[in-house]
Amino acid sequence: MATGTLTESEIKFDLRADRPWVCVVWDDPVNLMSYVTHVFMVLFGYSKERATELMLKVHNEGKAVVSSGTREEMERDVQRLHEYGLWATVQRDDES
Amino acid sequence: MSTFRRQENDELSIVFTSQEAHVLINLTEQLIELLADGDGQEHQVDPLLQVIGFSSSELPPEDPVLRRLLPSAYDDDQEAGEFRRYTEHGLREKKKAHAHLIYEALLPQDEDWNGDIPLDKGKIEVRFPSADAMAWLGGLNDLRIALAVRLGFGAERGKPGQSDGVNDDSDANNSESLHKKYELMIESDPMKAVYAVYSWIGWLQQSLLDAISAE
Repeated sequence: MATGTLTESEIKFDLRADRPWVCVVWDDPVNLMSYVTHVFMVLFGYSKERATELMLKVHNEGKAVVSSGTREEMERDVQRLHEYGLWATVQRDDES
Repeated sequence: MSTFRRQENDELSIVFTSQEAHVLINLTEQLIELLADGDGQEHQVDPLLQVIGFSSSELPPEDPVLRRLLPSAYDDDQEAGEFRRYTEHGLREKKKAHAHLIYEALLPQDEDWNGDIPLDKGKIEVRFPSADAMAWLGGLNDLRIALAVRLGFGAERGKPGQSDGVNDDSDANNSESLHKKYELMIESDPMKAVYAVYSWIGWLQQSLLDAISAE
C-alpha cells in the first residue's frame, strides 16, 4: 500500500466527487413561512436561525440550496421534503 | 374556532365543532381517494413491483393537484421520470398515511360525537401524541395545497416573495391578486366558501406550529 504520497489534485478530486449534488427548495404561494422553517429544523436538524435564514432566501430569491451531498443523499432529502409538501429538486452543484 | 393546545402528558389536543370535523373528514377522504387515483395505472403494473414500492409510471400525473403534491424531483424530464418510477408510489403512501391519521382521529369514537346533533352544536375533542405533530402538519399542508390548486394559485414555482402568511405589497403577483379576488367575492359564491376553508386550515396549521414550539 502506497503511503503519504497523495498529491494536492487527488485530494481536491476526492472532495469534489463526494459532494457534487444539491437539494434546492423553490418558493411557492401556499406553504406558510413558519411551516417551511419548521420543516427545515425537523428534517435537517438545523437551528431556528439557520432554518429561518434559508426560508427567507427561498422567499426572497425564489429558491435556495438547503443541503448538499451525494446524489443518493439529495434524492432522499427531496423525497422527504415532498412528503411534507415543499417543492424541491435535485441538481448538480454547478447548475444554477 | 379553537386552537391546538399542548397537554402536560406531551399530547396535543384541540376541540372541533361537528361542522369543522365534517369538513376535515370530507377533505381528507377526498385527498386519500385522489392519491390512490391513477397510482401506477398508466402502464401495466407488476403487483410485486408495487408491493416493494415501484410505481411504473414515469410521467407526472395529469391532475394539477396530484402534479403539485407529487412534483418532479429533477428539471430534466428523463431523470425526473426515472426517479418517479421508483419513488412516486411510496410518496403517495406517505401522504395517504398523513391524511388517514387526521381522518381517523376525527371519526366518531364515543357518545360525545353524535351525527344527530346539529352540526354547529356537537363538539369533538381530538388528542394525539406530539410525535404525530409532523404527520398532522404534513396532512393539513397537503389539504391546503390541494385547495389552493383548485382555487387557481397553488401551482407556481420559484416566484420570489409569494409565500403565504405575509402581507407585503412590494410585488403584486398572480396569487396575491387571486387572494384579493376571493376576499372581495360575494358570500354566496361557492368558491368563497372554498377559500374560507383554505384560510381556516392555514390558521389551524399555524396554531399547531405555535403549540409545539411553546415551551
